[in-house]
Amino acid sequence: MSFLMQHLPMFLIAIPLLMAPATIISKSYPGFQKALDIIVSIGLLALSGLLIYTVWNDGIIVYEVGEFGKYGIVLVADLLSSSMVVLSCLIGCMGLIYSYNYIESKSLNLTYHSLYNLMLAGINGIFLTGDIFNLFVFFEIMLLSSGALIVANETSKVTKISDKMEATMKYIVLNMLGSNAMLIAVTSLYASVGSLNMADIALKVRILAEAGTMPWHMYAIGLLFIIVFAGKAAVFPLHYWLPDVHPTAPSPISAMLSGVIIKIGAYGILRILFVIFSPLKGVYGPIILLLALITIGLGATAAIGQNDVKRLLAYSSVSQIGYVFLGFGMGAIALEAGEIAGGTLIVAASFVYMVNHAIAKSMLFLTSGGIIHHAETRDMRKMGGMINSNPLMAFSFLVGAMSIGGVPPMGGFIGKFSLFDAGLRSAFYLPIAIALLFAVFTLFYMFRGWMLMFWGERDPQYGEYSHHKLSILIVGPIMILAALVFVLGLFGNPVLEIAQTIAIQITDPQPYIDAVLVRVIR
Amino acid sequence: MNNTLLALTISLLFGIGTFLIFRRDMMKVIIGFGIISHAINLYIVAGGVFTEGTLVPILEHEQAVEGLNQGLIYNDNLTAGIVGPITTNPYMDFVDPLVQALVLTAIVIGLATTAFILTLAYRINEEYGTVDVGELRRLWG
Repeated sequence: MSFLMQHLPMFLIAIPLLMAPATIISKSYPGFQKALDIIVSIGLLALSGLLIYTVWNDGIIVYEVGEFGKYGIVLVADLLSSSMVVLSCLIGCMGLIYSYNYIESKSLNLTYHSLYNLMLAGINGIFLTGDIFNLFVFFEIMLLSSGALIVANETSKVTKISDKMEATMKYIVLNMLGSNAMLIAVTSLYASVGSLNMADIALKVRILAEAGTMPWHMYAIGLLFIIVFAGKAAVFPLHYWLPDVHPTAPSPISAMLSGVIIKIGAYGILRILFVIFSPLKGVYGPIILLLALITIGLGATAAIGQNDVKRLLAYSSVSQIGYVFLGFGMGAIALEAGEIAGGTLIVAASFVYMVNHAIAKSMLFLTSGGIIHHAETRDMRKMGGMINSNPLMAFSFLVGAMSIGGVPPMGGFIGKFSLFDAGLRSAFYLPIAIALLFAVFTLFYMFRGWMLMFWGERDPQYGEYSHHKLSILIVGPIMILAALVFVLGLFGNPVLEIAQTIAIQITDPQPYIDAVLVRVIR
Repeated sequence: MNNTLLALTISLLFGIGTFLIFRRDMMKVIIGFGIISHAINLYIVAGGVFTEGTLVPILEHEQAVEGLNQGLIYNDNLTAGIVGPITTNPYMDFVDPLVQALVLTAIVIGLATTAFILTLAYRINEEYGTVDVGELRRLWG
């Protein structure tokens, strides 16, 4: 047990990494392979729960890989990292269970399992690492495995393989540009401050700022990082790959992409803006605020005109990630103006928003897979009347739509309410007014989709609905996530409490720096 | 002089790579990415060269032992404003070993992404019968 506790952060990366070859070796025994993978992913979820429990009770865990102190790679599990890991393990586990009846069995046995585990390892690594170059390496692991997963075959032939190729090409090319920019930024940062450890860099940047000797290129490096992470999160000028990639991916992968992978961008912005480049947040705050407002408006307006159910959800993701970034921008401006309490509240609110959106949106994407399975098309105009033939999907889509639209008692209401409340307390009247306007748009496009799909009658020329019943492996994960949306809405206090602590930790990085630099001694 | 030449080479490679990325031919785009990643590799290595006045995180054995005894070399003393390795004697004969480790990692990652994207381009050529990026218009963005 103490061995487990001692190496806890490492296990969360090493286990999925080891599972990748293990699932390839056992590909001749599909039953064993599936059972192994599912047991391990549930175990991983339990481990991530243990991690957040330990971090909540005992404070930040610093794990040295090798014995080089801050010159080597360290894994740092603070409350933000560990809660993001819980999120990725939860959605990853649900997506994996869902995949068994959704992905074509040949593709599933051969490569799907190992790539999925590699992706999980990459995501967990991104959240847990304390070294900025290691962050880049995990980014690449995540990028390549998720790119290969987008082209995985589904059992239903709704999405053509050529569409998937095209979408993957866009995804890979844009993200290669992003990783090149990130490599330039990391190298320039290393050449400027002589360290790759995030806590060390944060300290040195702060010393430079206090001494007034900040070189001008530090501003450019910070901007480069913001471009990279905004590209990952699909914020306005770099949003256009998302509405092609998320709909063409198989539904469990769309759930991972929309639920966790775009949140990586938000996580990166939190680390860059509030920890590493903390003295410069007054410069970057207004930029992020402006881009976030444009993203909200653009995503919501584009989502209204969509007839494809997964494109609707993808544009909704663009709009919703804008709300998360709006919180970061407002938080940075408020903190720079000296309103510590107000800024902390805004950052906490946007974290709550992020968690709620991750769960609700991944649930909606899984539901859309069930809908596509049932209707054998992605076009909402060719559906209708599904409330009679498929009431379960109607229920879960309604839960998700209400959560995204911010209707009580769902989790999304807590997120929207706390974000708007915190923004108004710090007197951001105009941004909140714009956000509120587009929140009404959100409600409109989600319910437009719901009514098109579930109310009315299906035009007879599109044929009968499939009589194939959805298996428990497809319905189970959707219902678990739908229940979680309810729980987050009705008992939102624990999440709010965790978010408050995270915001205090992240807006005042001194405990993080102390934990890494003081405890890590060679 | 050498530094200027190195900077010029890096910027030229960046320029060629960027030019190729804007071509319509998919193969040229991929070659452009390859050139840019090599430009970045050169850039990383160039960051490891020490000139007058910068400090090298390498110490000789005696200095390391002495520093450890004083508790200064590998420990950060935040109250005294000491961060990172401190050496009073910059070594002009060394280059930073860390950047070479970084560049190895970057090369391997570049290999993997290039292999992946080349395979993808081949499959796209099979599906669409063209390598012209302008004709990949089945998704409406």
